Amino acid sequence: MDLRFGEKEEELRKEIREFVKKELPPDWFGLMLEEEMFYSSTICKKLAEKGWLTMSWPKEYGGKDASIWEQVVYDEEVAYWGIPGSMMGVSGTAWNGPSLLVLGNEEQKKKYLPLISSGEPDGVWCTLYSEPNAGSDFASIQTRATREGDEYVINGQKIWTSAAHVARWGWLAARTDPNAPKKHQGISLFIVDMKSSGITIRPLLNIGGEHIFNEVFFDNVRIPVSNLVGEENKGWYELMTSLAEERGAAGKFVMGIKRILDELINYAKEEKKDNKPLAKDPLIRQKLANIAIEIEIAKLLNYRLAWEIDNNILSPNTASEVKLITDEMMEHTAITGMQMLGPYSQLKQDSKWTKLRGSVESLYLMFLGLRNAMGTDEVQKNIMAQFGLGLPRGY
Amino acid sequence: MDFSFTEEQEMLRTLARDFLSKECPKARIRELEESDEGYDPETWKKMAELGWMGLVFPEEYGGSEGEFMDLIVLLEEMGYNILPGPFFSTVILCGLPIRDFGTEQQKKEFAPKIAKGEMIMALALTEPDARYDASGIKLQAVSKNGNYILNGTKLFVHDAHVANYLLVATRTSEGKNPEEGVTLFLVNAKSPGISYTVLKTIASDNQCEVTFNGVKIPRTGMLGKLNQGWKIIERVLERAAVAECALMVGGSQAVLDMSNSYAKERVQFGRPIGSFQVIQHKLVDMMTSVDGTRNLTYEAAWKINGGLPCALEASMAKARVNEAYQRVCIDGMIVHATIGFTWDHDMGLYFRRAKAAEIAFGDADFHRERVAQELGL
Repeated sequence: MDLRFGEKEEELRKEIREFVKKELPPDWFGLMLEEEMFYSSTICKKLAEKGWLTMSWPKEYGGKDASIWEQVVYDEEVAYWGIPGSMMGVSGTAWNGPSLLVLGNEEQKKKYLPLISSGEPDGVWCTLYSEPNAGSDFASIQTRATREGDEYVINGQKIWTSAAHVARWGWLAARTDPNAPKKHQGISLFIVDMKSSGITIRPLLNIGGEHIFNEVFFDNVRIPVSNLVGEENKGWYELMTSLAEERGAAGKFVMGIKRILDELINYAKEEKKDNKPLAKDPLIRQKLANIAIEIEIAKLLNYRLAWEIDNNILSPNTASEVKLITDEMMEHTAITGMQMLGPYSQLKQDSKWTKLRGSVESLYLMFLGLRNAMGTDEVQKNIMAQFGLGLPRGY
Repeated sequence: MDFSFTEEQEMLRTLARDFLSKECPKARIRELEESDEGYDPETWKKMAELGWMGLVFPEEYGGSEGEFMDLIVLLEEMGYNILPGPFFSTVILCGLPIRDFGTEQQKKEFAPKIAKGEMIMALALTEPDARYDASGIKLQAVSKNGNYILNGTKLFVHDAHVANYLLVATRTSEGKNPEEGVTLFLVNAKSPGISYTVLKTIASDNQCEVTFNGVKIPRTGMLGKLNQGWKIIERVLERAAVAECALMVGGSQAVLDMSNSYAKERVQFGRPIGSFQVIQHKLVDMMTSVDGTRNLTYEAAWKINGGLPCALEASMAKARVNEAYQRVCIDGMIVHATIGFTWDHDMGLYFRRAKAAEIAFGDADFHRERVAQELGL
């Protein structure tokens, strides 16, 4: 057992911190999944120049062949300092690219991956899975892809599509065989040019009034056959291989929450209540300690996930555990942070009275959304019970 | 970064699991709970032959030069199976400080005997105040004609009634702060003036009241320096907290495994109760908690193993494992329902021990406060 990063990784950490100092405003404090985090033309370009955006991909597709541990360090620093745009949309670098690496053909990999790596607006992606009647029951999707000559014609509707409004490409799951004996059969994966005619994007504002996700309508959208990823009708099974990447992506948020904890600790030291620093209040001390412990658990599980992936010994539970623990930790941080800030916790980011740049209020409005992203925790638990604990299917 | 154990450690784990399940079935554990000694001398002898007691001693003292991480592997299995007896007291609480702070003479005297299973030891630390900080140490040791005379009461001392020697924390002077003036002594447990009462406890785990009435100790019995014993105790407590976490993580894995099996066997409404989501989600929460706290324990243990500062990690681990083990036990009880609530069911063995383990070396509030200090609050 050795729970340290190597020299190479620590070097990278230093380099990223220098980058942050140089490229971001001195008091910058961005939170993952705020609107401006999807894409930032200047920062993305600079991250690309450093070779960081997709560092763990093979060189031929715009990566650097970096180790999974360098990737972990990069993810940590990005989240801690809130570097905008690292995901290239909501999902380009995190799982669309990696999925394409596994499932795509050579032509697709050559065409799309370097675009993501370049940090250009044309490398921004969104993921088109959920539909109004297919949320947790994702295999019930109805959006149709009908083959007509050299094209597929797409009709239907997607929902909760984060970053669709800024994405150039969409990673789409659609039904190609409506008569398949089982609903899991007959699903295929496609790459969609989000500028195609017939696509309508309608914003859905979230609970915080932010434009993060959208409804996306497909009305006879034509895409070339070459945009089919993998085999026709095998999409569900192909997806199962990439979903672990997606769930594990929850771990990318951990250090962003650590940043909020650090800010809350500073706040507790400076702020006075009854003429005593808030930090001397035993209740506050207990609560902050609790959050610190939960963050440590999430961080370690995330390391463990990387280690299991790196050594090809991925347990069926680890990625899901990272998501469950991260979600819970975010909830507790949000609730405790709001309690600590008291009446000030209500203030929006742009008020002159706002504390900690409104990050706590932001988190409070976001944690329930993140809980549902990439599958609700309840669905995770169903899957873990079945595949991790060997229990009979319960639904 | 590497989460793996060495091949030797994996072998030790397998061996320990087999040995303990054979040597210490649940019926035997129940018998031992009722016995006066509270442990099985035959098993103790076999453990010594396996080299467990001397695991972390240098070769010259009859040990096998193992590391702290080896102990963690062993303790996880002892927690999983439940092993009643003085292993923890002897090796973790007394053997380690003798190895690290003892004089050459003391090491020669104690380590080989511990390794051979011929020396049982107990740490007499807490008193009726029942606290794990220096101000809790009041038992007086007064210097007289080259000896020290001990007077006072120790409470919640595990395994003192079967010990050959006690490691006793005493107050030798009143310093500016409570940490000054604490001195440790190695005391022959059969010295005149010492008396023992085994306390009836929730885990039937042989905690004792030990009274010292004019007990005479030679100066050579001092472990470490006069008035500077607290530093040693701090270190013992740090290691003990993490070692206890390993026991607890092992125990919580056992509770999870038992509950998961039961959920598959128990049929109600014509189907295994494990097919109901309300049960499934409970079990998943238990699993997530066990896996999360196991990593936390490993991290603290790994730091100790490498001689790195670990006050933060040790307290994080103990704070969380305390609450997690209790939660896992309660959820496991809920899965089992009334059958788990019966005296004859194994769930109770774990549920009762979880409470004792939680209290040992600091509860969750105590350790969270330490975490707060380490965070700079």
